[in-house]
Amino acid sequence: MMLQFLFGALMGFSLLYGLARGTEAETVAAMLGGAGEAVASAIAMAGGFAFFCGMLSILRRAGAAEWLGRRLSPLLRRLLGPTLPKEALESAALNLTANLLGLGNAATPMGVKAARQMAKGGPAASDALCMFLVINSSSVQLLPASVIALRAAEGSRDPGAVALPALLATLVSTAVGVISCKLAEKKA
Amino acid sequence: MSWLLPVFLLLCLGAGAARRVPVYDAFLEGAQEGLDTARRILPSLTAMLCAIRAFSACGLLDPLCALLSPAVAWAGIPKETLPLMLLRPLSGSASLAMLKSILHAYGPDSRIGLVASVMMGSSETVFYTCGVYLAAAGVKKSRHTVPCALLAWLAGSFAAGLLIPGA
Repeated sequence: MMLQFLFGALMGFSLLYGLARGTEAETVAAMLGGAGEAVASAIAMAGGFAFFCGMLSILRRAGAAEWLGRRLSPLLRRLLGPTLPKEALESAALNLTANLLGLGNAATPMGVKAARQMAKGGPAASDALCMFLVINSSSVQLLPASVIALRAAEGSRDPGAVALPALLATLVSTAVGVISCKLAEKKA
Repeated sequence: MSWLLPVFLLLCLGAGAARRVPVYDAFLEGAQEGLDTARRILPSLTAMLCAIRAFSACGLLDPLCALLSPAVAWAGIPKETLPLMLLRPLSGSASLAMLKSILHAYGPDSRIGLVASVMMGSSETVFYTCGVYLAAAGVKKSRHTVPCALLAWLAGSFAAGLLIPGA
C-alpha cells in the first residue's frame, strides 16, 4: 500500500509538475538516468554485500546466533514480560539475533512465529507484541552490510567508518523505543 | 576507527576456526545469499531511484527541505539528508536509493555522506516491519506500537546528526 502510494505520487507529481513548467524533457532524462544508476550501483555493491554476508555466515555457522540468543534471553524476558510462554521468548530471541547478524531472510519467519505466539488471538496487540515490534523496527544491527558495501561502491576511503556510529545510533533508537513503550504500557 | 572492521572480520574467522567450521564453504553459502538478495532488490531499487531522481529534478525537493531544516538543524542534521530521513520508515528500497543518491552527489566521506550512512543504519522500515508482523499475528489494533517505533526512528536520526562531528 505504502509503496504503491509513494511510487505513484513521486512519479505522477514529477511528471505533471515538469509538464506544467516545461521541464518535462529533463524530468524524463533524470528518471531514465536513475534507472541506469540503480542497475550500476546494485552491481557495484553486490560484491561487497556478498562478501559481508559470507563473513557473517561463518559467524553464524560457528553458533553465534545461539550464543547471542542465550545472552539476550534474560534481558528479553524482562522487556517482554514474565508471563510470556518460553516458546515465544525463544522465537523472539532467535529473530533478534538473526537481525543482529544482518540475516533478514532468516529473521522474518522466526519473527512471524514469535508474533503469532504473542498475539493470544485477541484483536488488540498485547504489551509483549508491541514491545517486540518496537524493538524490531528500531533495527539493532551489528554491521550495516548494505550501507558499507554501497559506500565502498561509491569510492569511500574508509567504508567501515560508519560501523561504530551506526551501532551507537541504533542503540539510542532502540533504547528510546523501549522506554517509550514501557511508559505507554503503564499508562494504559 | 579503521581497525574496527578488520578486527571484526578476524573475529568471524577466529570463531569459525575455533568451532571447526569449514570457513570457505560457510563463506560461499552466505555470499550466495547476499548475491541473491542484491538481485532480488534490483527491481524495487530501479523503481525507487527513477521516482527519486524525477522528483529531485522537478525542483520541489530543495525548497521542501529548506522549509523543514530548521526543525532538525539543532541536532546537526544537514538539510541534504532530510529526504533520506523522511523516506527511511516508509521503504527500504526507497531509502537505499536515496542514500545512493546522496553519497553520489556529496561523496561518501563528506559529513553529509557520513550522517546519511549512519541514518540509514540506525533505523528500520517501521511501517513495513509493523505491517508484516501485525498481519501475520492477525492483530487489528496495534495500540502504541507505531508511535513508539516512530519515536525510536526520530531518536536514531537525531543521534546520527549528533554522533558525526560537524565541520
